[in-house]
Amino acid sequence: MNWKAILRHETILAILVVLALVVLAAQSDRFFTPENLLNQGRLMTEVGLVAIIMTFVIATGGIDLSVGSILGLVAILIGVFWQNLGLPLEAAIGLGLVVGTLAGLFNGFIITRFGVPPLIATLATLALYRGLAEGISEARSVRGYPDWFYVLGQGQVLGVPTQLWILGLVAILAAIVLGLTSWGRATYAIGSNETAARFSGIRVDRVKMAIYAASGFAASLAAVIFVSRVSTTRSDMGTGLELDAITAVVLGGTSIFGGRGTIIGTVLGLIMVQALKNGLSLAGVRGDGTIVLIGAVLILTILISNLFHRDGNR
Amino acid sequence: MTAEAQTLGRREQSWFGRLFAGYGQEIIILGAILLLFVVVWSINPRFISPNNLNTIFSGNAYIAVAAIGMSMVIITGNIDVSVGALIGVLATIAGTIAVSGYPVWVAWTAPILIGIAVNFLVGVLVAYARIPSIVVTLGMLSILRGGLISVTGGAWISNLPPEFLLAQQRPLGIPAPIYFMVGLTILAAFWMRYSAFGRSIYAVGGNPEAARAAGIPIERRIVQVFMIHGAFAGLATILFATQLQVIQSTVPPNLELTVITASVIGGVSILGGSGTVIGSTLAAILFAAIGSALIFVGISAYWLRAVIGLLILATVLADMARRRQAK
Amino acid sequence: MTPGGRDAASPLIRLKGVSKAFAGIRVVKDVDFDVRPGEVHALMGENGAGKSTLIKIIAGVHPHDGGTIEIGGEPVSHLTPREARRRGVAVVYQELLLFPELTVAENVFLGHAPRTGWRGLDWPEMRRRTRALLDSLDSPDLDVDTKVGALSVANRQRVEIAKALSQDARVLIMDEPTAALAEADVVRLMAVVKRLRERGVGIIYVSHRLPEIFELADRVTVLRDGALIGTRPIGEVTAQSLVAMMVGREIDHLYPKSEIAPGETLLEVRNLSHGRKVRDISFALRRGEILGVAGLVGSGRTELALTLFGITPASSGEILVSGKPVRIGSPRDARAHGIAYVPEDRGLQGLVKPMTIAQNVSMASLERVRRGIMMRFAEETRRAAAAIKAIGIRARGPGQVVGQLSGGNQQKVVLAKWLETAPQILIMDEPTRGIDVGAKAEIHQLMTKLAGEGMGIIMISSELPEVLGMSDRVLVINNGQLVRTLERGEATAESVGAAMADARREEAA
Repeated sequence: MNWKAILRHETILAILVVLALVVLAAQSDRFFTPENLLNQGRLMTEVGLVAIIMTFVIATGGIDLSVGSILGLVAILIGVFWQNLGLPLEAAIGLGLVVGTLAGLFNGFIITRFGVPPLIATLATLALYRGLAEGISEARSVRGYPDWFYVLGQGQVLGVPTQLWILGLVAILAAIVLGLTSWGRATYAIGSNETAARFSGIRVDRVKMAIYAASGFAASLAAVIFVSRVSTTRSDMGTGLELDAITAVVLGGTSIFGGRGTIIGTVLGLIMVQALKNGLSLAGVRGDGTIVLIGAVLILTILISNLFHRDGNR
Repeated sequence: MTAEAQTLGRREQSWFGRLFAGYGQEIIILGAILLLFVVVWSINPRFISPNNLNTIFSGNAYIAVAAIGMSMVIITGNIDVSVGALIGVLATIAGTIAVSGYPVWVAWTAPILIGIAVNFLVGVLVAYARIPSIVVTLGMLSILRGGLISVTGGAWISNLPPEFLLAQQRPLGIPAPIYFMVGLTILAAFWMRYSAFGRSIYAVGGNPEAARAAGIPIERRIVQVFMIHGAFAGLATILFATQLQVIQSTVPPNLELTVITASVIGGVSILGGSGTVIGSTLAAILFAAIGSALIFVGISAYWLRAVIGLLILATVLADMARRRQAK
Repeated sequence: MTPGGRDAASPLIRLKGVSKAFAGIRVVKDVDFDVRPGEVHALMGENGAGKSTLIKIIAGVHPHDGGTIEIGGEPVSHLTPREARRRGVAVVYQELLLFPELTVAENVFLGHAPRTGWRGLDWPEMRRRTRALLDSLDSPDLDVDTKVGALSVANRQRVEIAKALSQDARVLIMDEPTAALAEADVVRLMAVVKRLRERGVGIIYVSHRLPEIFELADRVTVLRDGALIGTRPIGEVTAQSLVAMMVGREIDHLYPKSEIAPGETLLEVRNLSHGRKVRDISFALRRGEILGVAGLVGSGRTELALTLFGITPASSGEILVSGKPVRIGSPRDARAHGIAYVPEDRGLQGLVKPMTIAQNVSMASLERVRRGIMMRFAEETRRAAAAIKAIGIRARGPGQVVGQLSGGNQQKVVLAKWLETAPQILIMDEPTRGIDVGAKAEIHQLMTKLAGEGMGIIMISSELPEVLGMSDRVLVINNGQLVRTLERGEATAESVGAAMADARREEAA
């Protein structure tokens, strides 16, 4: 796999995204309007934040299934800290972010220290974190946050939804880290051959712990934005988020076996998924029909990509 | 000659020893189940009331049955995250057929055949198009989940004909799902341990290149295993869909994860090549029993999942520690 | 039953003008080759010469593009692995193709197990026949019910051979069967090969090791760049002429060791221990010295290297670098103290094969090619290009993917990676394993040059000639202990070999 081959998947995907946008714009004149597009950006932020960090996780050959549960847990904790413990909302949010990051760090700890395969480790913490969210909330929801809080999820800055700025910033930072820094190089090296990376003096365990912690942080940030957007907290928030995020990442060309993947690809994957959801519903397809199509698009894109590099190493 | 006889006497295991060789994980889980029953029974004797035993064994038999197929898929080095959605779709299909006036056997056979057909497609995409199984089944999950909701619109199917409700029948006083769970597990265990086909599944997952050199058609074998898995999903569907008088348009959340967890805790290596279905069935029973036990020892229902999550984690860590020691 | 009975000269298998191309590149060109009953036919050539492709064609793994193949006198047009096996061709591959989770008996009979009436497997019969096969291979100590994953490399190989024989193989292909074996196991294997030859089996024997070829082979065929260079009876060739046939030029001296007066002590190890494989080891390494480490596979040689390199940190004992005590708890620590390790398993521990030469070369010295945390790609490429030139890596350029290089060039990439860290102490574990003769000589020259520049080199090797040819001193390790230290003058095949074996006997008693 050289750089050209890596870019090739992204190129195919970019063409597909443009095609989809053109077709969808032709289907409905409400699709290609600034208001609609910006609003779609708002809707894709939570999955987007998680997917961008998930790109790192999958590039190391790992996976994080617990992100949806971390989102739910942090959402609940923010509500509890603020309403039941009487902390200022700022402090509650800060504390929520800390707990979410620690939850991610705990994943990394189980994976690196005990050698549990990431799929199994995060499968277990998926149940654990969601269970904690349910136990703490006891099915109560929290509402009535102060107005300033809704700026994050419902407001705008310079005419663009607030959270889209955050998503953009995170995406650019992540793209720089993965593509241009020695941390990104370490990520790819671990994903391609963990043993060789370790024998080269790369601190494999530390890099992985940092990435899983970052994944937990991204899920927590998504939780804050989610709560702000929908004005309420419930313990089932974020259920199934992990699969949406993984879909976007894999659609974006990241190898599920690790060692390969880019942030640009993931962003394209996210746009593709969101555009399809929105465009089809505007074109009159029922919401559930679009889920079907996303599944089909995921399989087809990988199929086409596989056909293009038939003799690639994976 | 004498030297050889000595070697044989020292080296060869008894027939009995061989039968139980390699079942370490299974025996541990069995022990855990027995321990759990004794402890919870001493706290709250109603735990082993027939009613509760029925809930534990019969109500969760479908998970054990689905985990048999899942174990085979994982042993070949693949995974299926779409089985929960598949069971939901198949349940709706079976229910629709049952209320449309077709004979009951059609309603029972259809989910099995459709399960096989769907997983044939999955298998082909995995084996021949070489798309990683997690990607294919992730896509299939979306397709099935979306398809289910858009077809049913979330409506429940009621007025099921009584003879359709297989899971509620009790031959010899024992609920039918238990026969299925035990029978299918033993059948699959024997088949996987003693048939050439069964052994070749381990070969495909343990060392694909070697399997190919040994003349095992890997691609075809993977497709076949996915089809068998589809059949077990169909059987699981029948047990699941006939428990109640209605068929809901949803399955328990994270059903696929529950099934995968049962396989893995039962000793199937996520890396492929080892594990047994006896382990996965025992693990499914263990988790059902734990869930029930928590209620009987008075833990709030809200905390159920947290405790189960903690137990899964503890089991995984204990298993890892055990495997490390073995090395 | 005795194929040699009818006509000893008629070949079991005959290839005429066989060719094979991958993606338009011809890797086997118009090769004639045959094997007669009861002969060992050695197949030689540098890596990339086409040996592996040729044996895979014979085994039916790769379909051939041109030419004809006859097995037992019958032409075969479409050879598949199954068809090849049916016609009595069996292969013992270099990377042993066994199933670790299945038992010995199952592995032997996988794919052609005896059946009972109802299509079930006939386990007692399977175990009985496996027992008989293993006994015929002088391996009565191997249990047919053990999982193969628990066996040593040598024992796995016996299982592979038993598997081949269970299919009534008349042609047995052995691909570098001794590459991973210790000396004692090599001797045992050669006895097995001779026994098979007596039974009339035709053996295609692929190996780099000249002494084995001269001991075993009846004829030898040399390939170079996919083309047939020649087939000769073993009596008509010498080591020198074989090497010349393989590399296409004369190799001046096999072990280019120059005598150097060693300088001050670089590394001193006192009572080093880790687990049961490194026990109370003390030695010193001086500047400019090549210190050979000999021992059987599993004697603790590699474990010693891993302990010095921080993969498995020492549980007790002292390590002194340039006279100062240091703690080495990770490869990073080792690197910081100027210790580098070129590992035993190149593909697993040494290289990230899907990555480029430049990315691999910089992997252990990322701090040299970055500013802050940002990578300096131009600097990385420049340094890799310089390394390619300095070490003589044959590649298209720094951007080429490492997985596409030959074994020798891959090994040079690993070496380049560690030279980038400017080490003082270089540990090389099996530095020339699986590398062809030409590249081997180049690696040896590099080692001599590096030692001449003042580096201290610890060389672990299973090849006794290499140890004797390259080392200033030889340490012999057995059962985790340092049992003897021999100066260059006193180290001979006998003295080192005796030290390796003696200690083992003591331990067993």
